[in-house]
Amino acid sequence: MPMEEKIGVYVCECGPNIADKVDIDKVVETISSLPSVNVVERHKLLCSEDGKKFLKESIQKNELTRIVVAACSPKQHEVTFMKVCESAGINPYFFQLTNIREQCAWIIDDKEEATERTIRYIRAAIRRVLYHKALEKKEIEANPDVLVIGGGIAGLSASLLLASGDRKVYLIEKTKVVGGKVREFAKLFPRMEPCSDIISQKIKEVENNKNIEVHTDSEVSEVLGFLGNFVAKVNTSENKAIEQPSKQAIKEKGLENKELELKVGAVVVATGFDMFDPKQLPQYGYGKYDNVYTALEFEKMNAEGKILLKSGKPPKQIAIIHCVGREKVGYCSRVCCMYSLKFANYIKSKLPNVKVSHLYTDLTVPGKTYQKFYEQTKEKDVEFIRAQDIEITESNGQLTINHKGTHNPKPLNADMVILSSAITPSSDAHKLAEMLNISQGDNGFFVEEHPKLAPVSTSMEGIFITGCAQGPKNISDSIVQAQAVAGKILSSIIPGKKLELEVKTSEISEALCIGCQTCLTVCSYGAIYFDEIKRVCVVNEVLCRGCGNCVGSCPSGAASSKHFTTTQLHQEVVEALR
Amino acid sequence: MEKEFTPKIVGFLCNWCSYAGADLAGTSKLKMPPSLAVIRVMCSSRVDPVLVLRAFLRGADGVLIAGCHPGDCHYEKGNYYARRRFALLKSVVETLELDSERLQLSWVSASEGPRFQQVVTEFTEKLKKLGPNPMQEKTSM
Repeated sequence: MPMEEKIGVYVCECGPNIADKVDIDKVVETISSLPSVNVVERHKLLCSEDGKKFLKESIQKNELTRIVVAACSPKQHEVTFMKVCESAGINPYFFQLTNIREQCAWIIDDKEEATERTIRYIRAAIRRVLYHKALEKKEIEANPDVLVIGGGIAGLSASLLLASGDRKVYLIEKTKVVGGKVREFAKLFPRMEPCSDIISQKIKEVENNKNIEVHTDSEVSEVLGFLGNFVAKVNTSENKAIEQPSKQAIKEKGLENKELELKVGAVVVATGFDMFDPKQLPQYGYGKYDNVYTALEFEKMNAEGKILLKSGKPPKQIAIIHCVGREKVGYCSRVCCMYSLKFANYIKSKLPNVKVSHLYTDLTVPGKTYQKFYEQTKEKDVEFIRAQDIEITESNGQLTINHKGTHNPKPLNADMVILSSAITPSSDAHKLAEMLNISQGDNGFFVEEHPKLAPVSTSMEGIFITGCAQGPKNISDSIVQAQAVAGKILSSIIPGKKLELEVKTSEISEALCIGCQTCLTVCSYGAIYFDEIKRVCVVNEVLCRGCGNCVGSCPSGAASSKHFTTTQLHQEVVEALR
Repeated sequence: MEKEFTPKIVGFLCNWCSYAGADLAGTSKLKMPPSLAVIRVMCSSRVDPVLVLRAFLRGADGVLIAGCHPGDCHYEKGNYYARRRFALLKSVVETLELDSERLQLSWVSASEGPRFQQVVTEFTEKLKKLGPNPMQEKTSM
């Protein structure tokens, strides 16, 4: 047992919530009789201003060194009471909140049993708090600069918002130009405005922004570090001279290729997408028949001016096939129906007499504007056929689409077919995932930390995902997400302000560690490294999130989690079972 | 009349899902037998096998480990590690001549108050049938 401590126990009535269901007089009487306890008090509502004042004064008056509060869930008021402890001058970790409301008062019908259980919980908390250790807040300096990987619409949008917040942004693009796939689009759904208006404006803004340093023909080759302190290596073969040479070292690596070393506080992954290759599904005849095009090919053909068959003649009947590859990839790509409708509009405005037929399985036209766009498109004499099991054949240049339609299962003739393929993860996503230590889902897209609570963060703190790299989405949603990322970064790293680190991290005893590295393999955050000289594992407290998986895995008992040590938990268990 | 046997269960609940699920059961006023002692841990993967075995040696009639559903772990994949350790631990528990049914792993999410109630109630019923931890008698001798 640790040395003599002065323990105070405070039982909250929580108005009638606890008082009605638990015999608080009996609790106070029983706990008071324990030899280790100095003060036992009850209060009507300890989380109220009056209650907090009472608690603070009582701690100070009695010169207490350990505090137990028996009240509600720690999810509700643990932080509240820790702050009171701090203001009363004792380390906030010399405190234990035991949850007698959710775990006794509200779930145990019999008052006597609820009272007995309450006493048990308080005894366990008293025992645990005796083994608590003082923990101190830790802070580190953070670099406010940002690395953005990918110069598509998402990367550009994130860069612009970050730069407007006075952050230095390094925008790395692997192709020769920024703008991404959107550059190829003539118009945007649903307003059919010229795409160049939007993308050219963004590109110009980025190029003119002195806070953004663009590197085209460049690829990130290594990223090391953690939130606030990343070091990235970038291989670049760009020809243009960098107008303002960065302060970072530029090492010559041959005549054309250079390696840049960039120091940043956060990384944005905006690496976009690829398209499902319809050659994987031979029933569509892509690559076999002349006039079967992918969506991107058709987009390009239209942007170049004329919609023509391979023979050079204008088409008479065009079929647009939706959901190409959807079953194979296992998800709906969210934008194909809309860009397919856009294609119908392209065709009708250039060749009003061409017959356009959509073959779809399910139409995805969500939101406040898309339904109208669909209806307007339909009015332009565009046919919609619900079809399944599509198979395309050709004879004498005439394409025939055989299908099992719900209403109209007749084979359909066309001289041009456009395949609206699924959006797939970028082909080098796995390389990036490995380099950044972030996860890919079953479908290959990068996985957000939590779909609702942390939708643009990843498991690696300081690395964010946006745009189609995170999952298929339209341009508007990509921009929204890019701005969300910028917002996260602007609010989490503030110039001149240090970053507060998780206090309840793991630690590994150098004396006990046998160097087996089991902990290293179970850590999701790359927070443990192996010290080759000392032959022991070491926790990087900046990366550690305090889950304790390493502790659960350690065969030698060298790993322990602060504030959840084996001793603390064991003592709590022992007393709860007594 | 002899008082009915109420098993003593130690429940290691992960902070993010199961503890929150237990809280929800509480705020929903779902009634449960007074058998469970909740021990909050940050992640089900923190549950060191030693902690479980010590609980049995100290007379727990049952030990419950509860964490996030597969795929939902707050720490990405801690619950998968918990599951593997649990599978191994079951056989260790058998070597202590304890019925391995006394050790249970359940997934309870933050929104599953009724499921938490069900898990606790059913586990309690099961332990009532199994009777008190036989080691309790041995160690007290």
